[in-house]
Amino acid sequence: MLAALQFSSIGEFFQMGGYAFNVWTVYVLFLLFFFVNLYFPLIREKQIIRELKRRLIVRNEVPANKHD
Amino acid sequence: MWQWFFKLGSPKWFYELSGKWLPWLVAAMSLLLVIGITWALLFVPPDYQQGNTIRIMYIHVPFASISLAFFPLMAVAGTITLVWRMKLADMVAKTAAPLGAWFTALALISGSIWGSDIWGTWWIWDGRLTSMLLQFFLLVGVISLRSALEDTDAAAKACAVLSIVGCINVFVIKYSVDWWNTLHQPSSPIGMAGDSANGPEIWVPLVIMIVAVYLFFAVSLILSTRNEILQRERRSKWVQELLASA
Repeated sequence: MLAALQFSSIGEFFQMGGYAFNVWTVYVLFLLFFFVNLYFPLIREKQIIRELKRRLIVRNEVPANKHD
Repeated sequence: MWQWFFKLGSPKWFYELSGKWLPWLVAAMSLLLVIGITWALLFVPPDYQQGNTIRIMYIHVPFASISLAFFPLMAVAGTITLVWRMKLADMVAKTAAPLGAWFTALALISGSIWGSDIWGTWWIWDGRLTSMLLQFFLLVGVISLRSALEDTDAAAKACAVLSIVGCINVFVIKYSVDWWNTLHQPSSPIGMAGDSANGPEIWVPLVIMIVAVYLFFAVSLILSTRNEILQRERRSKWVQELLASA
């Protein structure tokens, strides 16, 4: 498997045969988009649950207080 | 017979099922991405003309091909919304539009970076590029249309109609390379033999990346749809119970 490696050194791998800017920009953009696109919906889910729980508590407590 | 279809349209059922599926989808996506990216960056032989920029293909092609799925998906969801008024269909359509705009943008940007060296230009008004840019603006149009209309039902109907009409552009994108033979090349034939122009050492990692990015699309869509369900169904009993136990 190692024989199929296309680069003989780390430096050569980073240089990408002179196309370092093009190749690495695309891969970095992809990884950035990948993580942002998974991270934000998860953060939003926590926000929504927190917000809805707060409303649930407020609504459950108001009638209870009125009875007192 | 139609029971499964309407069950599928129930937000509660989708929420529970997607919750069970998500870990498996994420696991499969991560595994394929690691294999695909390692293969594309380290083991794919450089192209005889394009050298190492061939590695951009393993990001560009999956994103470009999946971008074409958004309008058909939104059109199917829109038709279900118009005909059966299924709530879940409109939630999927709503979350698909911004995701589609991002996928289309990434296909355009990665293509532009690839072309800047290989074609010697960042942009050209070629049939494929122009129709793809039009799809981006159409998706932005769907998003703004929804945010412009306050009434949820009216917004759902309007977006459904626009999504169905927008499907025409998908055919234009698909056949643009055959109709206007300007700069973007048509899709390449692939061969099974190792010595053919596009042998397995080229397309097997590409297929892995396409499946991985499809899974990424599915995971992203499910995550945002679940958020949309929680918000729109917040008054229903099952969400209240879910919150109480959360």
